[in-house]
Amino acid sequence: MTQLILRRLGTAVLTIVLASLLVFLAIQALPGDVAQQILGRDATEESIAKMRSELGLDTPVVLRYLQWLFGAVQGDFGTSLVSGEPVGPTLLLHFRNTLLIAIPTVLISVTLSILLGVFAGLRRNKWQDNSISLISLVAMSIPEFMMGALLVLAFAIGIPLFPAVVLDGPNATVAELLPSIWLPVIVLSLAMAAYVIRMTRTSTIDVMTSDFITTAQLKGLRESRVVLRHALPTALLPTLNVVAINIAWMLGGVVVVENIFNYPGMGNLMLEAVFNRDLPIIEAVAVVSATVYVACNLLADLTAMLLDPRQRLAKGSKRKAKATAAGSQATATGEGIQP
Amino acid sequence: MSETHSIGRRSVLSTGLLLGSGLLLGGLTGCGSGSKVAEIPMAAATGVPAPGRRLRIARPAASAAETLDPASSLSAYEYLGAIYNRLVKLDDKGVTVPDLAAEWSSTSDGKTWTFNLRRGVIFHDRRPLTAADVVYTLGHILDPDVGSPQAGVLSPILEASGVTASDPHTVVFNLTSPNAEFPSLLTAYQCYIIPVDSAATIGATGIGTGPFKLSDYTPAGRGAVEAFVDHFAGPPALAGIDFYSVQDTGARVNALLAGQIDLISQTNLDFATARVVASSPNATVARAKDAQWYTIPMLATSKEFSDPLVRQAMKLAYNPKDIVATALQGNGSTGWDNPVPPGYEDHLDFTREYDPEKARSLLKKAGAEGLQLPIYTSSYDSVFTPMAVAYADAVKAAGIKLTVTSASSDSYYTEIWMKKPLSVSYWFTGRPVDQLLNQVFRSGSSYNESAWSNKTFDQLLVSARGEMNDAKRRGIYQDAQRVIIDDGADMTPMFGDRLVGLSKEVVNYSEFGFEFDYMLIGLKS
Repeated sequence: MTQLILRRLGTAVLTIVLASLLVFLAIQALPGDVAQQILGRDATEESIAKMRSELGLDTPVVLRYLQWLFGAVQGDFGTSLVSGEPVGPTLLLHFRNTLLIAIPTVLISVTLSILLGVFAGLRRNKWQDNSISLISLVAMSIPEFMMGALLVLAFAIGIPLFPAVVLDGPNATVAELLPSIWLPVIVLSLAMAAYVIRMTRTSTIDVMTSDFITTAQLKGLRESRVVLRHALPTALLPTLNVVAINIAWMLGGVVVVENIFNYPGMGNLMLEAVFNRDLPIIEAVAVVSATVYVACNLLADLTAMLLDPRQRLAKGSKRKAKATAAGSQATATGEGIQP
Repeated sequence: MSETHSIGRRSVLSTGLLLGSGLLLGGLTGCGSGSKVAEIPMAAATGVPAPGRRLRIARPAASAAETLDPASSLSAYEYLGAIYNRLVKLDDKGVTVPDLAAEWSSTSDGKTWTFNLRRGVIFHDRRPLTAADVVYTLGHILDPDVGSPQAGVLSPILEASGVTASDPHTVVFNLTSPNAEFPSLLTAYQCYIIPVDSAATIGATGIGTGPFKLSDYTPAGRGAVEAFVDHFAGPPALAGIDFYSVQDTGARVNALLAGQIDLISQTNLDFATARVVASSPNATVARAKDAQWYTIPMLATSKEFSDPLVRQAMKLAYNPKDIVATALQGNGSTGWDNPVPPGYEDHLDFTREYDPEKARSLLKKAGAEGLQLPIYTSSYDSVFTPMAVAYADAVKAAGIKLTVTSASSDSYYTEIWMKKPLSVSYWFTGRPVDQLLNQVFRSGSSYNESAWSNKTFDQLLVSARGEMNDAKRRGIYQDAQRVIIDDGADMTPMFGDRLVGLSKEVVNYSEFGFEFDYMLIGLKS
């Protein structure tokens, strides 16, 4: 078990370093550099040359990456090429702001969608199931930017309950940001909940028709005990991975949502940095995103081991466990589509 | 120029969003009150401003590298007019009028100019304005390390050592060559006057003589200015202005509709959004007349457009009226390939021919019959693509086949502009005629977007600068405009009105080119 975790951690570090390298190279491939982007139409040859030498952009790419990596390993992410501020504090501030919408989103959407998913699964093909499915499918089909626009229209412009955009900068206190987080939280929760509801529903249906549940029911156990003690832990297994992937996805979805609401979070920081080709910021955001992604998946797998004794016992054969999970997911999905 | 790259640069994500909310809001107001979608108003509201009100402005900050140093190419444009003054400014006819200079005169050869400063002007730190501040400011603008865009305009005729203070209220400029239009070159917004020895700090302190005093400022973030009661022209109508940085166009519009802000700066609303804003209960649209000068540069150094006959054919082949009607939906004026805006006193009123058949025969003569090439556009400005489509459609009659090709907006001005043979572009209006012609059309200028070079034209500019008689000089500038119309490579199909979203409470809004009137603007009670 410890060995497994260590191996996973090693892979995680490798993944993050590779991600940082790929992002570094991808930015080099983009047209224009920070000097050209900031100066725009005022980019005369002299002013570009001056800014490039000031920012050290004339150093070869490989060397710059190694310099960056060397600093990053020691916790020094450098300074922004645009503002000249150190990257670390800026990133922390934006990350805090993003967490302020990410944590409520995860809590609300995961709780709500597991409850609704299990409920729909138990009430399969009844009106409750049909309406939950319909609503979640609709929510799933509307892209976040559209959902954001609709909510702003309804609850900021139509009925002025919430602010339409955040006017405060990244330095705003949590109390100042609090009234503004709700619309972004709703948009992200809706997008995220839909997938989790679908997954929980199908896996609940799948589990409820399996032999061991039938045995439990025939033994005369109370329905609540059958569901909570026997069905739920198994039904949650495939859902966990979906939740993990969704949390990682949210970091991407957050870019669009933060842009709509002018929310001073990591997505906004990244958009601005990519636009300006501000490499140190982009790299730092990439590292944080990759870390969150890897951590979510690792946590999901570890939780799955806790919930599922089969995975704990199958020493070192993680692949097999994954295959089983994937297999049950596949059958579950297939089953769910049938009327 | 630093402001041109902010407008619409975030429009990528928001276009769909705006359209969606536009249709929806249109639908909602339509159902709710039974009223129609409002037309875009022709004039801004006027009225008596209430005392003690603060205006909230949402602006797209260019980048976190922005500064309050007016000379810099990275200046935070919206603040400048509120906190600084120049020696002279431009009125809406393109005429140079006094600001900090009360009067000015030159020797008969146009080489030595003397400016007398207004008396009793003080900076926000209560120091009086003297000629030494002006001398210092000009030295700062001309400093190569500052890299001011206006240095390129001034340095050919002026050296820092040529600016001297003959007494505390008199500044003398000794030019290296005669220039009858020299005062107009000091109207650029890079020429705002800063206090002596302030270069190192001005970017953050913003100490000037303007109607507002800086109280808070974060680059690419929030900021505020307060009315300066000791301003030489009296205090402004507002008690203060709060500036907010909102990068996404859609978000700025939403903030306006939700009543979180009162005005959106540096944003030319597209027509669908403008109608939504005009139809909303608490916001409306005002226009800065002819503020957007739209161009279609043909790269004169490219193989397609090096032949003047081909360039002439490209002009004869289209009628600017058609482009204004479709791309601007009538909200603007025809340009007829003359870059000087119609409202300017120096404008040459000349309507060139429109003759697709003649264009066709010219192309035949040039051996370029059935010319085929892409015309590049992007979502950088909402009018770019409509203009490219309307132009491509118009020139079909002359047998010219243009493929409208859309390029990424965030690298449009680094990868396409001045690199591809045919693209679309725009500038803000509000430049004095001498600067406009020298900066965008003179051979070798770094802003000459068509890389056009014409010796007759260059010579006309030189002789205009040496001509001290105003009427004769105007004649020369008009001759120069004629050369652009006949031979130039940068087409001007039209001047568009900039559509500005603002609250219905805002009164006395006025903007010329990018000159925002901070003295009169106010809010109703």
